[in-house]
Amino acid sequence: MKRVRIIALNTDRKRILEHLQNSSLVEIQHIEQPEEGYSRIDTASQLQQFERNSQLMTQASKILDKVSPEKKSLLDAFRGKREVEPEDIGKIAAGSPKVIGICGKICDLEKQRADYAAERVRIRTLMAQLEPWSGLDIPMNTADTASTAVFIGTFPKMFDDITLSEALAQEDETLIFDHEIFFSSVNLTCAVIYAPKTQKEQAENVLRTLGFTRPLNPTSRTPSEKISRLKKKDDELVKKISQATEGLKKYVKYRAMISDTKDYYMLRSDKYRVISELDESEHTFILYGYIPEEDCDQLEELCLRIADCIVEFSEPGDDAPVKLKNNKFAEPAESIVTMYSPPSKDDVDPTPILAFFFYFFFGMMFSDAGYGLVMVIATTIALKVFKPDKSMRNNLKLFQYCGIATIFWGLVFGSIFGDAPAVFYKLFTGKEITMAQMLPWPVLDTQKDALTIMILSIGLGLVHVLVGMGCKFYVCMKQKKYAEAFFDTGLWMTMLIGFAVLAAGMATLPVLVTVGAGIAIASAVGLVLTQGRAKKGFFGKLIGGVASLYDITSYISDLLSYSRLLALGLTTGVMAQVFNMLSTLMGTNVIGILFMIVIFIAGHLITIGLNALGSYVHTMRLQYVEMFSKFYEGGGRKFEPFAVRCDNFKMKNSNEM
Amino acid sequence: MEGIVFAILAASLATVLSGIGSAKGVGGAAQTAMGVLSEDSSMFGKMLVLTLLPGTQGLYGFIVGFLIMINCGVLGGEVPTLMQGLAYVAASLAIGIGGMISGFAQGKASVAGISMCAKDESNFSKAMVSITLVEIYALLAFIVSLLMVISIPGIKM
Repeated sequence: MKRVRIIALNTDRKRILEHLQNSSLVEIQHIEQPEEGYSRIDTASQLQQFERNSQLMTQASKILDKVSPEKKSLLDAFRGKREVEPEDIGKIAAGSPKVIGICGKICDLEKQRADYAAERVRIRTLMAQLEPWSGLDIPMNTADTASTAVFIGTFPKMFDDITLSEALAQEDETLIFDHEIFFSSVNLTCAVIYAPKTQKEQAENVLRTLGFTRPLNPTSRTPSEKISRLKKKDDELVKKISQATEGLKKYVKYRAMISDTKDYYMLRSDKYRVISELDESEHTFILYGYIPEEDCDQLEELCLRIADCIVEFSEPGDDAPVKLKNNKFAEPAESIVTMYSPPSKDDVDPTPILAFFFYFFFGMMFSDAGYGLVMVIATTIALKVFKPDKSMRNNLKLFQYCGIATIFWGLVFGSIFGDAPAVFYKLFTGKEITMAQMLPWPVLDTQKDALTIMILSIGLGLVHVLVGMGCKFYVCMKQKKYAEAFFDTGLWMTMLIGFAVLAAGMATLPVLVTVGAGIAIASAVGLVLTQGRAKKGFFGKLIGGVASLYDITSYISDLLSYSRLLALGLTTGVMAQVFNMLSTLMGTNVIGILFMIVIFIAGHLITIGLNALGSYVHTMRLQYVEMFSKFYEGGGRKFEPFAVRCDNFKMKNSNEM
Repeated sequence: MEGIVFAILAASLATVLSGIGSAKGVGGAAQTAMGVLSEDSSMFGKMLVLTLLPGTQGLYGFIVGFLIMINCGVLGGEVPTLMQGLAYVAASLAIGIGGMISGFAQGKASVAGISMCAKDESNFSKAMVSITLVEIYALLAFIVSLLMVISIPGIKM
């Protein structure tokens, strides 16, 4: 990584920035204060404008999606973004005022639609309120006649003709009244009460005690008339809503244009954000940034070609970002490293080691030649057909390499879609055969040789951990921390090797036991002597040294953790076996064969899904927890160049990230 | 001959107990994940991974159960003696109980991981690794059960 400073004339600013964005070579460095004699340009108002525009477009696209959902297949997720030339962006820019207009209209139509819908809700509520009154043949707000007082309203209780008369009579025996009930349910009774005008006050008192209330907005029409008017209004609204929807549908054809323009505004706001970071004087500006060493020449050539400017490179400071650079074999695993944390400047790039062990362990856990083949074929097709973007391409490649390792381990464990070949051989010939007999090379049976595979797993784990510690040793040597390298890491490494030799000796040569024990004891003595070196006083040093031996528990638990290699390998094998057995249950008649095909495909898809997930997660854990903990610090920052970064398209021939 | 009853009991125990653990773990995680998905459905892939993590215990139990069936005469192998049958029960308890309780624990870790991931998607791998820390105990239980189950037919009891 290099630090770069570009000094150029303000008149060339637009052109230089555009080229930098299109080529994505440089990450712009953010510096708090401008240099002496320079100032910063405030672009907040432009940024706000772009933000508003792109929000408008997002809103418009969402509305269009609601009106006519876009047909998208799941596989489209693999497809790469469209490639565009710089001129195409110019065309999008020229069309942007028109698109803003269109989006405005779309949003207006949607607002109308929402208003109509709200109005409909209001009308429907009114209609529902009037529904119980539909039998009433006088207007709701009928006033008293010359001699009769009329009360139209509701009781919060259930009444029928008899109970209502009783209730009214009970309250006031002297009251003369007549009533009509229009609707009655558990806690609502709609009724009209007539009483002589002379007793109006009396009747009011009685009704009040019974909880009688008059309707809130009585109309001057009869309820049925009112309902039919409302119905007409409602129908009109329905028509208006469908008109607005039709209107919106006319704009669906602009969908691609709208999302392109939205991206264009995102690009522009990126650019203006950079402009606000530039140091500017009256005629010139200065741009600071970071650039990977190998791209320096390209940048210099580009800048000098398009403008009169000065390009200077210098050594980067401590806060420089990191760009991982690996060969084709290791590159797909970069995402696994970045997911943990990009390396700090003191770290070695762990990607090549991680890549190898990742593929290797994934293969051992997934361990089926058939599944591996499916993975390799599927990823190869996806890579060829969809031409995915770089990050997706790397993910697919990761699984392609994992698939190859899976095939390897599947052959070692004698597993091809579980024991499918043996099962089918038996089904059609009736002869018993095992996978071990079918395959010409010696296989390790995950069930019969479980113990062997467990020892193998832990052995591989030891190698993995030792490689991790080797990296620590290397890093310490590079930083000239010799004590840490030899005492803290080297002695533990020899200790682990000693134990390994000892264990191997127990199984084979007794002489190795002595050798192994010797190495382990010597390392332990070394640890006791050196691990307390930071402590004060003789006893402090001694206790520190002895206590450090307790770390052996963490190494043991690390190693035991690798037994998951066996467990997950076995899980895959047994699940596949179960589905093979189920698929042959119906025999060899026509129905049996159909049944077999369905169960075989569905069953193995389930197995692939579950176990690929398990293998992926557990491989990752082995890398992060068991190996990275030995040497890797992380905490670096990923190199994020100033680039064309949007949802729909990418710049042709740019450095993809 | 009596041994087969116990062998079948053992297969059931291994499958059911660890299945309970996974069912509870995945169930809780799925509830939380759906809460997150109701806000942002684009996280479905990540949520699916985190939800499925406590599901492995049930799988391990099932495999032990299946191996017992293969060994004890249900799907092949020889009918075990009474003592061998009891030995199967004893062996199945490791993954049964270990799977169940680690399933509960991993479910809780999953729920927390999902909440963490919902706040910031970049926390996904940290959540995933932290949740798998629980898994090792189910794995150890599984391996112990497994080694015992495959060696029982060879032991004369």
